[in-house]
Amino acid sequence: MTAVLKSEKLSKWYGNVLGISDINLEIGSGITGLLGPNGAGKSTFLKIAAGQLKPKIGSLKIFGEEIFGNPGLFRRIGFCPEHDSAYNEMSGWQFILLLARLHGFAGHEAEARSEKALLTVGLLESKDRQIKGYSFGMRQRLRLASSILHEPEILMLDEPLRGIDPLWRIKIMQLIKEYGKQGRTVIVSSHILPEIESMTSEIVLIHQGKIFAKGDIHRIRGLIDSHPHQISIRCPEPRQLAQKLIGSDFVLSVDFDKDGRTLTVKTSQRDHFFNALMGLIVTDKLAVEEITSPDDNLQAVFDYLIGK
Amino acid sequence: MKKQSVLPVIFASFFKSGFKAKRTRVFILLSLIPVVLMLIMRVMETAGSLRGGGAADFFAKATLVLYFQLLIPILALFFGSTIVNEELDNKTLVYLTTVPVRRRTVLLGKYLADFLQAFLLVGSGFLLCFLAASITRLGDAAAWEELGLFLGTALLALFCYSALFTAAGAFMKKSILLGLFFVFGWESVVQYFPGVTQKFTIIHWIKSLLPVPPGEGGFLIFHLQPSPALESVLMLTGAGLLFLFLAVFIFERKEYILSDNA
Repeated sequence: MTAVLKSEKLSKWYGNVLGISDINLEIGSGITGLLGPNGAGKSTFLKIAAGQLKPKIGSLKIFGEEIFGNPGLFRRIGFCPEHDSAYNEMSGWQFILLLARLHGFAGHEAEARSEKALLTVGLLESKDRQIKGYSFGMRQRLRLASSILHEPEILMLDEPLRGIDPLWRIKIMQLIKEYGKQGRTVIVSSHILPEIESMTSEIVLIHQGKIFAKGDIHRIRGLIDSHPHQISIRCPEPRQLAQKLIGSDFVLSVDFDKDGRTLTVKTSQRDHFFNALMGLIVTDKLAVEEITSPDDNLQAVFDYLIGK
Repeated sequence: MKKQSVLPVIFASFFKSGFKAKRTRVFILLSLIPVVLMLIMRVMETAGSLRGGGAADFFAKATLVLYFQLLIPILALFFGSTIVNEELDNKTLVYLTTVPVRRRTVLLGKYLADFLQAFLLVGSGFLLCFLAASITRLGDAAAWEELGLFLGTALLALFCYSALFTAAGAFMKKSILLGLFFVFGWESVVQYFPGVTQKFTIIHWIKSLLPVPPGEGGFLIFHLQPSPALESVLMLTGAGLLFLFLAVFIFERKEYILSDNA
Protein backbone atom coordinates (compact mmCIF):
# COMPACT_ATOMS: atom_id res chain seq x y z
CA MET A 1 0.00 0.00 0.00
CA THR A 2 1.32 3.45 -0.92
CA ALA A 3 0.48 5.73 1.97
CA VAL A 4 -1.30 8.92 1.00
CA LEU A 5 -1.59 9.99 4.60
CA LYS A 6 1.01 9.10 7.19
CA SER A 7 1.09 10.03 10.84
CA GLU A 8 3.90 9.30 13.24
CA LYS A 9 3.62 9.54 17.01
CA LEU A 10 0.87 12.06 16.45
CA SER A 11 -0.41 13.60 19.67
CA LYS A 12 -2.62 16.54 20.41
CA TRP A 13 -4.13 17.86 23.58
CA TYR A 14 -6.07 20.94 24.54
CA GLY A 15 -4.77 22.26 27.83
CA ASN A 16 -5.15 19.23 30.08
CA VAL A 17 -7.61 17.48 27.81
CA LEU A 18 -6.25 14.74 25.60
CA GLY A 19 -7.33 14.83 21.98
CA ILE A 20 -5.24 12.05 20.48
CA SER A 21 -2.12 10.29 21.64
CA ASP A 22 0.73 8.56 19.84
CA ILE A 23 -1.10 7.76 16.64
CA ASN A 24 0.94 5.94 14.02
CA LEU A 25 -1.14 5.40 10.96
CA GLU A 26 -0.79 4.97 7.22
CA ILE A 27 -3.77 5.34 4.95
CA GLY A 28 -3.70 4.52 1.25
CA SER A 29 -6.23 4.73 -1.52
CA GLY A 30 -9.76 3.42 -1.06
CA ILE A 31 -12.17 4.05 1.78
CA THR A 32 -11.02 3.96 5.38
CA GLY A 33 -13.55 4.20 8.15
CA LEU A 34 -12.58 6.03 11.30
CA LEU A 35 -14.72 4.52 13.98
CA GLY A 36 -15.05 5.45 17.62
CA PRO A 37 -17.48 6.73 20.21
CA ASN A 38 -18.10 10.45 20.63
CA GLY A 39 -15.04 12.15 22.08
CA ALA A 40 -12.69 9.39 20.92
CA GLY A 41 -10.44 11.71 18.94
CA LYS A 42 -11.72 11.13 15.40
CA SER A 43 -12.44 14.79 14.73
CA THR A 44 -9.15 15.90 16.25
CA PHE A 45 -7.34 13.52 13.92
CA LEU A 46 -9.28 14.78 10.89
CA LYS A 47 -8.79 18.42 11.87
CA ILE A 48 -5.03 17.88 12.01
CA ALA A 49 -5.21 16.08 8.67
CA ALA A 50 -7.17 19.02 7.24
CA GLY A 51 -4.64 21.57 8.48
CA GLN A 52 -6.99 23.10 11.02
CA LEU A 53 -4.94 22.10 14.04
CA LYS A 54 -1.23 21.71 14.62
CA PRO A 55 0.13 18.49 16.12
CA LYS A 56 1.55 18.93 19.61
CA ILE A 57 3.95 16.03 19.14
CA GLY A 58 4.73 13.98 16.06
CA SER A 59 3.74 14.64 12.50
CA LEU A 60 1.07 14.06 9.93
CA LYS A 61 1.90 14.24 6.26
CA ILE A 62 -0.28 14.05 3.20
CA PHE A 63 1.42 13.24 -0.08
CA GLY A 64 4.65 13.56 1.91
CA GLU A 65 4.00 17.16 2.92
CA GLU A 66 3.09 18.86 6.18
CA ILE A 67 -0.42 20.24 5.94
CA PHE A 68 -0.63 23.20 8.34
CA GLY A 69 0.19 26.41 6.47
CA ASN A 70 0.42 24.57 3.15
CA PRO A 71 -2.66 25.78 1.23
CA GLY A 72 -1.45 24.40 -2.10
CA LEU A 73 -2.28 20.90 -0.85
CA PHE A 74 -5.97 21.78 -0.73
CA ARG A 75 -6.17 21.47 -4.50
CA ARG A 76 -5.91 17.74 -3.78
CA ILE A 77 -7.86 17.57 -0.52
CA GLY A 78 -11.54 17.89 0.23
CA PHE A 79 -12.73 18.27 3.81
CA CYS A 80 -16.27 18.09 5.11
CA PRO A 81 -16.32 19.41 8.69
CA GLU A 82 -18.58 18.13 11.44
CA HIS A 83 -19.84 21.59 12.49
CA ASP A 84 -23.22 22.72 11.33
CA SER A 85 -21.87 25.98 9.97
CA ALA A 86 -22.23 28.04 6.82
CA TYR A 87 -22.55 31.63 5.69
CA ASN A 88 -26.25 31.87 6.47
CA GLU A 89 -26.75 35.14 4.63
CA MET A 90 -25.64 33.54 1.37
CA SER A 91 -27.67 31.26 -0.84
CA GLY A 92 -26.47 27.70 -1.39
CA TRP A 93 -25.37 28.72 -4.88
CA GLN A 94 -23.39 31.77 -3.69
CA PHE A 95 -21.66 29.65 -1.05
CA ILE A 96 -20.60 26.87 -3.41
CA LEU A 97 -19.65 29.30 -6.17
CA LEU A 98 -17.48 31.25 -3.72
CA LEU A 99 -15.66 28.06 -2.76
CA ALA A 100 -15.29 27.04 -6.41
CA ARG A 101 -13.67 30.40 -7.12
CA LEU A 102 -11.45 30.09 -4.07
CA HIS A 103 -10.32 26.78 -5.52
CA GLY A 104 -9.14 28.79 -8.48
CA PHE A 105 -11.89 28.02 -10.96
CA ALA A 106 -13.11 30.95 -13.00
CA GLY A 107 -16.14 31.86 -15.08
CA HIS A 108 -18.12 29.03 -16.59
CA GLU A 109 -15.93 26.35 -15.08
CA ALA A 110 -16.66 27.60 -11.56
CA GLU A 111 -20.37 27.62 -12.36
CA ALA A 112 -20.30 24.20 -13.98
CA ARG A 113 -18.47 22.67 -11.04
CA SER A 114 -20.80 24.33 -8.53
CA GLU A 115 -23.81 23.08 -10.44
CA LYS A 116 -22.43 19.55 -10.61
CA ALA A 117 -21.63 19.48 -6.88
CA LEU A 118 -25.10 20.75 -5.96
CA LEU A 119 -26.73 18.30 -8.33
CA THR A 120 -24.75 15.44 -6.77
CA VAL A 121 -26.11 16.22 -3.31
CA GLY A 122 -29.62 17.04 -4.54
CA LEU A 123 -29.58 20.75 -3.79
CA LEU A 124 -29.67 22.19 -7.29
CA GLU A 125 -33.36 23.01 -7.07
CA SER A 126 -32.88 24.80 -3.73
CA LYS A 127 -29.70 26.57 -4.75
CA ASP A 128 -31.14 30.08 -4.67
CA ARG A 129 -32.59 29.77 -1.18
CA GLN A 130 -30.68 31.36 1.68
CA ILE A 131 -28.73 28.78 3.67
CA LYS A 132 -30.46 29.84 6.88
CA GLY A 133 -33.68 28.44 5.35
CA TYR A 134 -32.13 25.00 4.77
CA SER A 135 -32.88 22.05 7.03
CA PHE A 136 -30.07 20.45 9.01
CA GLY A 137 -29.82 17.62 6.49
CA MET A 138 -29.65 20.06 3.57
CA ARG A 139 -26.86 22.01 5.25
CA GLN A 140 -25.02 18.74 5.80
CA ARG A 141 -25.36 17.92 2.10
CA LEU A 142 -24.17 21.42 1.23
CA ARG A 143 -21.04 20.84 3.29
CA LEU A 144 -20.50 17.62 1.40
CA ALA A 145 -20.90 19.50 -1.91
CA SER A 146 -18.27 21.99 -0.75
CA SER A 147 -15.80 19.16 -0.19
CA ILE A 148 -16.25 17.45 -3.57
CA LEU A 149 -16.65 20.33 -5.99
CA HIS A 150 -12.96 20.29 -6.97
CA GLU A 151 -12.92 16.47 -7.22
CA PRO A 152 -10.12 15.96 -4.72
CA GLU A 153 -7.74 13.02 -4.61
CA ILE A 154 -8.26 12.67 -0.88
CA LEU A 155 -11.62 13.26 0.70
CA MET A 156 -12.01 13.57 4.46
CA LEU A 157 -15.53 13.43 5.82
CA ASP A 158 -16.28 14.01 9.48
CA GLU A 159 -19.59 12.34 10.36
CA PRO A 160 -21.01 13.03 6.87
CA LEU A 161 -24.25 11.12 7.39
CA ARG A 162 -25.33 12.87 10.57
CA GLY A 163 -28.83 14.26 10.25
CA ILE A 164 -29.36 13.05 6.70
CA ASP A 165 -32.61 11.36 5.75
CA PRO A 166 -32.53 7.63 4.83
CA LEU A 167 -32.86 8.18 1.08
CA TRP A 168 -29.96 10.60 0.87
CA ARG A 169 -27.98 8.50 3.32
CA ILE A 170 -27.98 5.67 0.78
CA LYS A 171 -27.12 8.01 -2.09
CA ILE A 172 -24.23 9.56 -0.18
CA MET A 173 -22.91 6.16 0.80
CA GLN A 174 -22.98 5.24 -2.89
CA LEU A 175 -21.15 8.45 -3.76
CA ILE A 176 -18.46 7.68 -1.19
CA LYS A 177 -18.10 4.14 -2.49
CA GLU A 178 -17.84 5.49 -6.03
CA TYR A 179 -14.99 7.78 -4.93
CA GLY A 180 -13.24 4.79 -3.37
CA LYS A 181 -13.65 2.73 -6.54
CA GLN A 182 -12.04 5.52 -8.57
CA GLY A 183 -8.86 4.96 -6.59
CA ARG A 184 -9.19 8.09 -4.50
CA THR A 185 -8.56 8.12 -0.79
CA VAL A 186 -11.62 8.60 1.36
CA ILE A 187 -11.48 8.86 5.14
CA VAL A 188 -14.88 8.83 6.71
CA SER A 189 -15.56 9.07 10.42
CA SER A 190 -18.56 7.83 12.32
CA HIS A 191 -19.58 6.47 15.68
CA ILE A 192 -22.10 4.13 14.08
CA LEU A 193 -20.68 0.78 13.08
CA PRO A 194 -23.29 -0.27 10.47
CA GLU A 195 -22.77 3.04 8.66
CA ILE A 196 -19.06 2.43 8.22
CA GLU A 197 -19.57 -1.25 7.59
CA SER A 198 -21.79 -0.54 4.61
CA MET A 199 -19.10 1.61 2.98
CA THR A 200 -15.83 -0.14 3.66
CA SER A 201 -14.15 -3.14 5.16
CA GLU A 202 -11.04 -1.16 6.13
CA ILE A 203 -11.54 0.48 9.49
CA VAL A 204 -9.55 2.14 12.22
CA LEU A 205 -10.98 1.96 15.71
CA ILE A 206 -10.17 4.97 17.87
CA HIS A 207 -10.86 5.14 21.54
CA GLN A 208 -9.71 7.65 24.16
CA GLY A 209 -7.38 9.26 21.65
CA LYS A 210 -5.56 6.09 20.71
CA ILE A 211 -5.84 3.60 17.89
CA PHE A 212 -7.51 0.62 19.43
CA ALA A 213 -7.48 -1.63 16.39
CA LYS A 214 -6.88 -1.29 12.70
CA GLY A 215 -7.50 -3.49 9.72
CA ASP A 216 -10.13 -5.49 7.97
CA ILE A 217 -13.59 -5.14 9.40
CA HIS A 218 -14.03 -8.89 9.74
CA ARG A 219 -11.21 -9.13 12.24
CA ILE A 220 -12.55 -6.19 14.20
CA ARG A 221 -16.07 -7.49 13.82
CA GLY A 222 -14.86 -10.67 15.55
CA LEU A 223 -13.73 -8.58 18.50
CA ILE A 224 -16.96 -6.64 18.54
CA ASP A 225 -19.13 -9.71 18.10
CA SER A 226 -17.65 -11.30 21.19
CA HIS A 227 -19.30 -8.48 23.12
CA PRO A 228 -22.72 -9.46 24.48
CA HIS A 229 -25.13 -7.17 22.65
CA GLN A 230 -28.42 -5.92 23.96
CA ILE A 231 -31.32 -5.75 21.57
CA SER A 232 -34.73 -4.36 22.47
CA ILE A 233 -37.79 -5.62 20.62
CA ARG A 234 -41.21 -4.03 20.91
CA CYS A 235 -44.06 -6.33 19.97
CA PRO A 236 -47.64 -7.17 20.99
CA GLU A 237 -46.66 -10.63 22.35
CA PRO A 238 -43.26 -10.26 24.01
CA ARG A 239 -43.64 -13.39 26.18
CA GLN A 240 -44.46 -15.56 23.19
CA LEU A 241 -41.39 -14.24 21.38
CA ALA A 242 -39.22 -14.75 24.46
CA GLN A 243 -40.36 -18.36 24.69
CA LYS A 244 -39.16 -18.99 21.14
CA LEU A 245 -35.83 -17.23 21.64
CA ILE A 246 -34.75 -18.48 25.04
CA GLY A 247 -33.85 -21.96 23.79
CA SER A 248 -31.14 -20.61 21.47
CA ASP A 249 -27.50 -20.99 22.51
CA PHE A 250 -26.64 -17.42 21.62
CA VAL A 251 -29.32 -15.86 23.83
CA LEU A 252 -27.80 -15.13 27.21
CA SER A 253 -30.76 -13.50 28.94
CA VAL A 254 -34.18 -12.00 28.33
CA ASP A 255 -35.75 -9.13 30.31
CA PHE A 256 -39.22 -7.65 30.09
CA ASP A 257 -39.76 -3.96 30.36
CA LYS A 258 -42.41 -2.46 32.60
CA ASP A 259 -44.61 -1.49 29.68
CA GLY A 260 -45.27 -5.19 29.00
CA ARG A 261 -44.64 -4.72 25.28
CA THR A 262 -40.85 -4.71 25.12
CA LEU A 263 -38.29 -7.39 25.78
CA THR A 264 -34.55 -6.85 25.90
CA VAL A 265 -32.41 -9.73 24.79
CA LYS A 266 -28.73 -10.10 25.58
CA THR A 267 -26.90 -12.14 22.93
CA SER A 268 -23.32 -13.24 22.43
CA GLN A 269 -23.72 -13.49 18.64
CA ARG A 270 -25.56 -10.56 17.20
CA ASP A 271 -25.68 -11.76 13.58
CA HIS A 272 -26.99 -15.21 14.51
CA PHE A 273 -29.57 -13.62 16.72
CA PHE A 274 -30.85 -11.37 13.97
CA ASN A 275 -31.03 -14.30 11.54
CA ALA A 276 -33.03 -16.29 14.05
CA LEU A 277 -35.32 -13.36 14.80
CA MET A 278 -36.01 -12.75 11.10
CA GLY A 279 -36.78 -16.46 10.73
CA LEU A 280 -39.29 -16.30 13.56
CA ILE A 281 -40.94 -13.22 12.14
CA VAL A 282 -41.37 -14.96 8.77
CA THR A 283 -42.21 -18.55 9.78
CA ASP A 284 -44.19 -17.94 12.98
CA LYS A 285 -45.70 -14.70 11.68
CA LEU A 286 -44.75 -12.87 14.86
CA ALA A 287 -45.57 -9.18 14.79
CA VAL A 288 -42.67 -6.89 15.67
CA GLU A 289 -43.16 -3.14 15.96
CA GLU A 290 -39.63 -1.95 16.59
CA ILE A 291 -36.12 -3.30 17.01
CA THR A 292 -33.51 -1.09 18.62
CA SER A 293 -30.00 -1.76 19.78
CA PRO A 294 -28.60 0.35 22.58
CA ASP A 295 -25.22 -1.02 21.50
CA ASP A 296 -25.33 0.74 18.14
CA ASN A 297 -23.51 3.42 20.00
CA LEU A 298 -19.99 2.10 20.11
CA GLN A 299 -19.29 3.32 23.60
CA ALA A 300 -20.72 0.15 25.14
CA VAL A 301 -18.68 -2.03 22.81
CA PHE A 302 -15.49 -0.17 23.56
CA ASP A 303 -16.16 -0.29 27.27
CA TYR A 304 -16.51 -4.04 26.95
CA LEU A 305 -13.40 -4.46 24.81
CA ILE A 306 -11.17 -2.51 27.15
CA GLY A 307 -12.56 -4.45 30.08
CA LYS A 308 -14.45 -1.70 31.90
CA MET B 1 -8.19 25.14 -15.86
CA LYS B 2 -8.79 28.86 -16.11
CA LYS B 3 -7.34 30.53 -13.03
CA GLN B 4 -8.42 33.69 -11.36
CA SER B 5 -7.04 35.86 -8.62
CA VAL B 6 -8.82 35.12 -5.37
CA LEU B 7 -8.32 38.40 -3.48
CA PRO B 8 -11.02 40.20 -5.51
CA VAL B 9 -13.27 37.15 -5.08
CA ILE B 10 -12.99 37.27 -1.29
CA PHE B 11 -13.33 41.04 -1.26
CA ALA B 12 -16.43 41.09 -3.49
CA SER B 13 -18.13 38.22 -1.72
CA PHE B 14 -17.71 39.58 1.80
CA PHE B 15 -18.37 43.16 0.74
CA LYS B 16 -21.71 42.08 -0.72
CA SER B 17 -22.73 39.75 2.09
CA GLY B 18 -21.61 42.30 4.69
CA PHE B 19 -24.46 44.60 3.75
CA LYS B 20 -26.94 41.85 4.58
CA ALA B 21 -25.51 41.42 8.08
CA LYS B 22 -27.56 42.74 10.99
CA ARG B 23 -24.61 44.59 12.48
CA THR B 24 -24.27 46.67 9.30
CA ARG B 25 -27.86 47.84 9.63
CA VAL B 26 -27.15 48.87 13.22
CA PHE B 27 -24.07 50.78 12.09
CA ILE B 28 -26.01 52.51 9.32
CA LEU B 29 -28.43 53.81 11.97
CA LEU B 30 -25.53 54.78 14.22
CA SER B 31 -23.80 56.71 11.46
CA LEU B 32 -27.03 58.59 10.75
CA ILE B 33 -27.14 60.09 14.28
CA PRO B 34 -24.77 62.99 13.47
CA VAL B 35 -26.68 63.60 10.20
CA VAL B 36 -29.96 63.90 12.07
CA LEU B 37 -28.39 66.22 14.65
CA MET B 38 -26.85 68.30 11.89
CA LEU B 39 -30.18 68.57 10.06
CA ILE B 40 -31.88 69.68 13.28
CA MET B 41 -29.24 72.39 13.69
CA ARG B 42 -29.69 73.49 10.08
CA VAL B 43 -33.48 73.69 10.45
CA MET B 44 -33.10 75.64 13.72
CA GLU B 45 -30.68 78.05 12.07
CA THR B 46 -33.00 78.53 9.09
CA ALA B 47 -35.95 79.08 11.44
CA GLY B 48 -33.94 81.69 13.31
CA SER B 49 -33.80 79.90 16.65
CA LEU B 50 -30.04 79.44 16.24
CA ARG B 51 -27.66 82.28 15.48
CA GLY B 52 -26.21 82.55 11.98
CA GLY B 53 -23.30 80.13 11.48
CA GLY B 54 -24.52 78.03 14.40
CA ALA B 55 -24.87 74.94 12.23
CA ALA B 56 -21.33 75.32 10.90
CA ASP B 57 -20.09 75.77 14.48
CA PHE B 58 -21.91 72.64 15.53
CA PHE B 59 -20.26 70.77 12.67
CA ALA B 60 -16.79 71.96 13.66
CA LYS B 61 -17.25 71.22 17.35
CA ALA B 62 -19.73 68.40 17.92
CA THR B 63 -19.84 66.55 14.60
CA LEU B 64 -16.09 66.19 14.34
CA VAL B 65 -15.99 64.89 17.90
CA LEU B 66 -18.75 62.42 17.13
CA TYR B 67 -17.00 61.14 14.04
CA PHE B 68 -13.35 61.12 14.98
CA GLN B 69 -13.57 60.23 18.65
CA LEU B 70 -16.59 57.99 18.63
CA LEU B 71 -18.00 56.69 15.35
CA ILE B 72 -14.79 55.96 13.49
CA PRO B 73 -13.07 54.09 16.36
CA ILE B 74 -16.28 52.19 17.19
CA LEU B 75 -16.96 51.18 13.59
CA ALA B 76 -13.33 50.20 13.13
CA LEU B 77 -13.47 48.22 16.36
CA PHE B 78 -16.55 46.23 15.39
CA PHE B 79 -15.58 45.73 11.76
CA GLY B 80 -11.91 44.99 12.48
CA SER B 81 -12.22 42.71 15.45
CA THR B 82 -14.94 40.60 13.85
CA ILE B 83 -12.96 39.82 10.69
CA VAL B 84 -11.55 36.71 12.32
CA ASN B 85 -13.78 36.35 15.37
CA GLU B 86 -16.99 36.19 13.36
CA GLU B 87 -15.56 33.25 11.44
CA LEU B 88 -14.72 31.58 14.74
CA ASP B 89 -18.10 32.24 16.32
CA ASN B 90 -19.96 30.97 13.26
CA LYS B 91 -17.45 28.14 12.78
CA THR B 92 -17.06 29.12 9.13
CA LEU B 93 -13.30 29.66 9.24
CA VAL B 94 -12.83 26.07 8.13
CA TYR B 95 -14.19 26.90 4.65
CA LEU B 96 -11.64 29.66 4.13
CA THR B 97 -8.73 27.62 5.45
CA THR B 98 -9.35 24.42 3.51
CA VAL B 99 -9.04 26.01 0.08
CA PRO B 100 -5.80 26.57 -1.84
CA VAL B 101 -5.58 30.20 -0.74
CA ARG B 102 -3.00 31.71 1.55
CA ARG B 103 -4.39 32.85 4.85
CA ARG B 104 -2.99 36.32 4.27
CA THR B 105 -5.12 36.63 1.12
CA VAL B 106 -8.20 35.63 3.08
CA LEU B 107 -7.48 38.17 5.80
CA LEU B 108 -6.62 41.00 3.43
CA GLY B 109 -9.68 40.33 1.25
CA LYS B 110 -11.96 40.42 4.25
CA TYR B 111 -10.16 43.46 5.69
CA LEU B 112 -10.59 45.43 2.47
CA ALA B 113 -14.29 44.51 2.28
CA ASP B 114 -14.93 45.61 5.86
CA PHE B 115 -12.77 48.70 5.56
CA LEU B 116 -14.61 49.86 2.46
CA GLN B 117 -17.98 49.19 4.09
CA ALA B 118 -16.99 51.20 7.15
CA PHE B 119 -15.67 54.02 5.00
CA LEU B 120 -18.86 54.14 2.93
CA LEU B 121 -20.90 54.42 6.13
CA VAL B 122 -18.70 57.12 7.60
CA GLY B 123 -18.11 58.93 4.32
CA SER B 124 -21.75 59.15 3.27
CA GLY B 125 -22.82 60.36 6.73
CA PHE B 126 -19.97 62.83 6.78
CA LEU B 127 -20.88 64.14 3.34
CA LEU B 128 -24.49 64.70 4.38
CA CYS B 129 -23.39 66.50 7.55
CA PHE B 130 -21.01 68.64 5.57
CA LEU B 131 -23.68 69.55 3.04
CA ALA B 132 -26.09 70.52 5.83
CA ALA B 133 -23.42 72.62 7.56
CA SER B 134 -22.04 74.30 4.45
CA ILE B 135 -25.15 74.71 2.34
CA THR B 136 -24.64 78.45 2.14
CA ARG B 137 -21.08 78.19 0.83
CA LEU B 138 -21.23 75.26 -1.57
CA GLY B 139 -19.87 77.45 -4.37
CA ASP B 140 -16.74 78.09 -2.32
CA ALA B 141 -13.82 75.89 -3.39
CA ALA B 142 -12.33 76.09 0.10
CA ALA B 143 -15.38 74.33 1.49
CA TRP B 144 -14.82 71.37 -0.83
CA GLU B 145 -11.14 71.31 0.03
CA GLU B 146 -12.16 71.10 3.65
CA LEU B 147 -14.47 68.20 2.86
CA GLY B 148 -11.65 66.43 1.02
CA LEU B 149 -9.42 66.88 4.04
CA PHE B 150 -12.07 65.52 6.42
CA LEU B 151 -12.74 62.51 4.22
CA GLY B 152 -9.03 61.85 3.73
CA THR B 153 -8.46 62.01 7.47
CA ALA B 154 -11.44 59.74 8.06
CA LEU B 155 -10.00 57.27 5.55
CA LEU B 156 -6.62 57.22 7.29
CA ALA B 157 -8.22 57.00 10.72
CA LEU B 158 -10.38 54.04 9.69
CA PHE B 159 -7.43 52.34 8.02
CA CYS B 160 -5.26 52.64 11.10
CA TYR B 161 -7.89 51.79 13.74
CA SER B 162 -9.37 48.88 11.82
CA ALA B 163 -5.92 47.40 11.11
CA LEU B 164 -5.16 47.59 14.84
CA PHE B 165 -8.43 45.89 15.78
CA THR B 166 -8.02 43.27 13.04
CA ALA B 167 -4.69 42.31 14.58
CA ALA B 168 -6.26 42.19 18.05
CA GLY B 169 -9.14 40.07 16.70
CA ALA B 170 -6.73 37.65 15.05
CA PHE B 171 -4.84 37.33 18.31
CA MET B 172 -7.60 36.98 20.89
CA LYS B 173 -11.26 36.04 21.15
CA LYS B 174 -12.42 38.88 23.43
CA SER B 175 -10.70 41.63 21.51
CA ILE B 176 -13.76 43.91 21.59
CA LEU B 177 -13.35 44.43 25.33
CA LEU B 178 -9.71 45.32 24.88
CA GLY B 179 -10.67 47.60 22.00
CA LEU B 180 -13.26 49.44 24.07
CA PHE B 181 -10.67 49.97 26.78
CA PHE B 182 -8.26 51.30 24.15
CA VAL B 183 -10.79 53.68 22.59
CA PHE B 184 -12.40 55.02 25.74
CA GLY B 185 -9.47 54.59 28.09
CA TRP B 186 -6.10 54.95 26.46
CA GLU B 187 -7.09 57.18 23.55
CA SER B 188 -9.23 59.48 25.66
CA VAL B 189 -6.94 59.85 28.65
CA VAL B 190 -3.43 59.73 27.26
CA GLN B 191 -4.02 62.49 24.73
CA TYR B 192 -4.28 64.95 27.62
CA PHE B 193 -1.05 63.82 29.28
CA PRO B 194 1.75 66.34 29.09
CA GLY B 195 4.88 65.80 27.05
CA VAL B 196 5.13 63.48 24.09
CA THR B 197 3.01 60.72 25.65
CA GLN B 198 0.03 61.77 23.55
CA LYS B 199 1.94 60.74 20.46
CA PHE B 200 1.36 57.15 21.55
CA THR B 201 -2.30 57.54 20.66
CA ILE B 202 -3.80 57.30 17.21
CA ILE B 203 -6.14 60.20 17.88
CA HIS B 204 -3.20 62.61 18.28
CA TRP B 205 -2.15 62.02 14.65
CA ILE B 206 -5.73 62.26 13.45
CA LYS B 207 -6.29 65.57 15.23
CA SER B 208 -3.06 66.91 13.83
CA LEU B 209 -4.57 66.61 10.36
CA LEU B 210 -7.80 68.44 11.12
CA PRO B 211 -7.85 72.08 10.09
CA VAL B 212 -9.01 73.56 13.36
CA PRO B 213 -6.49 75.77 15.10
CA PRO B 214 -5.51 74.88 18.69
CA GLY B 215 -7.82 76.39 21.23
CA GLU B 216 -10.85 76.14 18.97
CA GLY B 217 -13.28 73.31 19.22
CA GLY B 218 -13.91 71.50 22.49
CA PHE B 219 -12.03 68.32 21.82
CA LEU B 220 -9.22 69.86 19.90
CA ILE B 221 -7.43 71.43 22.84
CA PHE B 222 -3.79 70.43 22.68
CA HIS B 223 -1.25 70.54 25.44
CA LEU B 224 1.25 69.87 22.71
CA GLN B 225 1.20 71.54 19.31
CA PRO B 226 -0.22 69.34 16.57
CA SER B 227 2.35 67.33 14.67
CA PRO B 228 3.09 68.36 11.08
CA ALA B 229 0.56 67.10 8.55
CA LEU B 230 3.03 65.05 6.52
CA GLU B 231 4.40 63.39 9.64
CA SER B 232 0.85 62.60 10.74
CA VAL B 233 -0.06 61.06 7.40
CA LEU B 234 3.10 58.97 7.45
CA MET B 235 2.52 57.91 11.04
CA LEU B 236 -1.08 56.84 10.41
CA THR B 237 -0.18 55.03 7.20
CA GLY B 238 2.88 53.40 8.74
CA ALA B 239 1.05 52.33 11.89
CA GLY B 240 -1.84 50.98 9.82
CA LEU B 241 0.52 48.94 7.65
CA LEU B 242 2.36 47.68 10.69
CA PHE B 243 -0.87 46.57 12.38
CA LEU B 244 -1.99 44.91 9.17
CA PHE B 245 1.29 43.07 8.88
CA LEU B 246 0.91 41.97 12.49
CA ALA B 247 -2.63 40.73 11.79
CA VAL B 248 -1.41 38.68 8.82
CA PHE B 249 1.54 37.34 10.82
CA ILE B 250 -0.76 36.14 13.61
CA PHE B 251 -3.48 34.79 11.34
CA GLU B 252 -1.04 32.75 9.27
CA ARG B 253 0.50 31.05 12.28
CA LYS B 254 -2.25 30.77 14.86
CA GLU B 255 -4.24 27.61 15.33
CA TYR B 256 -7.93 28.37 15.81
CA ILE B 257 -9.97 25.82 17.71
CA LEU B 258 -13.54 25.99 16.52
CA SER B 259 -15.42 23.97 19.11
CA ASP B 260 -15.51 21.11 21.58
CA ASN B 261 -13.15 18.53 20.34
CA ALA B 262 -14.26 15.02 19.68
